[in-house]
Amino acid sequence: MSTTQIQQQELKKVVDTIPNRIKTFKIIVVGDSNVGKTSLTYRFCESKFIQTSEATIGVDFRERTLHIDDEDIKLQLWDTAGQERFRKSMVQHFYRNVHAVVIVYDVTNRASFDSLVYWLDECDRNCFTNVPRILVGNKCDEKLEINTNMAQRFADQHNMPLFETSARLDSECDNVEAIFLTLAHKLKNQKQLIPVDVVGQTQRLIRANPVNDNSSWNCCLRS
Amino acid sequence: MESNSEIINADDETSSTLNDDSSKLYTNSAEFISSEENEDTRSELKFDPVLESEEEKSKRLEIEEALKDGDSALETWRRLALGKYGLVNDDLRRQVWPLLLNVDPDPSEKAPLLAELSQHSEYSQVVLDVNRSLKRFPPGIPYKQRVALQDQLTVLILRVIMKYPHLRYYQGYHDVAITFLLVVGETVAFRIMERLSTDHLRECMEPTMEKTSYTLTYIYPILQREDKDLYEFMDSATVGTMFALPWYLTWFGHSLNQYRDVVRLYDYFLASPPLMPLYVAASLVIDRRQDVFDVGCDMASIHCLLSQIPDNLDFESILQRASNLYKKYPPSKLEKDVKNRVQKELEQRRKDEQRIRRRLDKNRAAWVKMRHYLPNWLLLHYRNKYGLLFATATLLVGLYAYLRATETGFSLFKQGPWNI
Ligand SMILES: Nc1nc2c(ncn2[C@@H]2O[C@H](COP(=O)(O)OP(=O)(O)O)[C@@H](O)[C@H]2O)c(=O)[nH]1
Ligand SMILES: [Mg+2]
Repeated sequence: MSTTQIQQQELKKVVDTIPNRIKTFKIIVVGDSNVGKTSLTYRFCESKFIQTSEATIGVDFRERTLHIDDEDIKLQLWDTAGQERFRKSMVQHFYRNVHAVVIVYDVTNRASFDSLVYWLDECDRNCFTNVPRILVGNKCDEKLEINTNMAQRFADQHNMPLFETSARLDSECDNVEAIFLTLAHKLKNQKQLIPVDVVGQTQRLIRANPVNDNSSWNCCLRS
Repeated sequence: MESNSEIINADDETSSTLNDDSSKLYTNSAEFISSEENEDTRSELKFDPVLESEEEKSKRLEIEEALKDGDSALETWRRLALGKYGLVNDDLRRQVWPLLLNVDPDPSEKAPLLAELSQHSEYSQVVLDVNRSLKRFPPGIPYKQRVALQDQLTVLILRVIMKYPHLRYYQGYHDVAITFLLVVGETVAFRIMERLSTDHLRECMEPTMEKTSYTLTYIYPILQREDKDLYEFMDSATVGTMFALPWYLTWFGHSLNQYRDVVRLYDYFLASPPLMPLYVAASLVIDRRQDVFDVGCDMASIHCLLSQIPDNLDFESILQRASNLYKKYPPSKLEKDVKNRVQKELEQRRKDEQRIRRRLDKNRAAWVKMRHYLPNWLLLHYRNKYGLLFATATLLVGLYAYLRATETGFSLFKQGPWNI
């Protein structure tokens, strides 16, 4: 190992230990109580399904550092309480300096879908800038009450991309991963002029995922 | 003993034992082991059996003496509950907690049936939270027994808010209720919860959290007076008070991992004025001051650090400091500072709102219209047939289209290194 390599490694260590050097993004996760906000953030940050999820009181906080295009990016996920009374007087704290909002509904629960307008409104009333928003339908492993068409229409109307997934199923792990990676990409490249081979990145992401090894996405990608 | 055996499978012998004397729950756990369960689960039913130290033993004897005495005054119970090691064990807590609040179990008042309770507007939220309260039960508790206790918990909570319609359930209230349920059983737990809900916790049970938010602010004037460096550090990081919200709402029950710490703190709070949890919060932050400095002057990092309470803290010294803080800076001396602080925050919030309104007036930029980038043949309602497989495909196509669309500034077909 050459000296320069060692130096670089050491330099990297130093950089890693200084949190401020890492680009950090604050993402808040909102949605009705019980839709799976805690489970999703846990799945992403700890790579497993939280077996004994508890009611969230106020806001819980998890983070994960991602390595994207040779750069470390930290995603801070603020997992908020769904109960309405918390939000009326505390919500402004949640939204302060937020970079993106993830709105979650439960595909098996119509009421949680109907509440989406409420969450969008809250987001509008509390964000300083037009932050990116994404819509996530959770609990796809169960019988769905909200079909994808309907959700997609709603997402289109509000200029949000839609993702459907399950925090519970291990086989959906990569999907949850992809949701936040998408967001990370978006945030990372938002204000910068960086030439990135995005498609290559996406495909790598997909290939690394054996569960998705079926023809349907293959043809999608080729199309 | 009040009877709501309808709720807890009436045909089940195990649960009727539980119903008859839930106060013996964890000490005489042998009573719970039903005949069909051959395995001896006694040890599993206990939270964390700790050996009694000499000091604890003498404290225990002192409390037992006072109990035998029969006519000890409230002051005695308070002193014992506040002092080192509190009430030592759950057997003593079961006897002293009701005395601390001067509540009397009234067996004549019948609990409503679960069927009646289920009509209540908060019912579903309560059930959701109760179902997610597994962490608060002793590890290894038999399934049936846990379910029976969870039903009792639901009834307990709804009973209180039905009796006092001006009180609202909040997420975290269940963490308080379960602590009492586990220690004193449902009858006395109802009395205690009734008392606390109309007293210590009343503010938290208002329709909004406005007052709760206000009260949490007390932490800062305490810090400012006691530990100026720490105060300035946290203030400049704009940490806020959210980290302490679950502490205050649940008397730390939600945030502590160890059962024995929870009940020790409950001894303390039951013998203290309602604002004491804020002094304990400040004391706890001071206890961890070095960790706070080490983590850096950043709101998220400090919030994250503080909201996770380590298991190895010396709560006796934290409580001791909290008592001193309360003496040095009673709430009456802090009120003015709290008001000013809240006022300042309000002004900031108004400015923020103006900024937001200006933004909303402008036309909002479209973020992404993903539908346009989805191939038409991908009709998503096939999803049912293909199940998750298809959901996966949907996502990945979405991701792909999304990345291309956003990273390329919507010029989907442009190739090569893209600029935004
Ligand atoms: N079937 C299914 N259940 C889930 C999924 N994600 C979460 N849950 C369950 O839904 C309940 C609520 O989850 P939680 O993450 O606490 O919801 P939150 O209130 O939005 O934070 C819990 O009982 C979870 O176990 C999922 O993907 N599939
Ligand atoms: Mg949650």
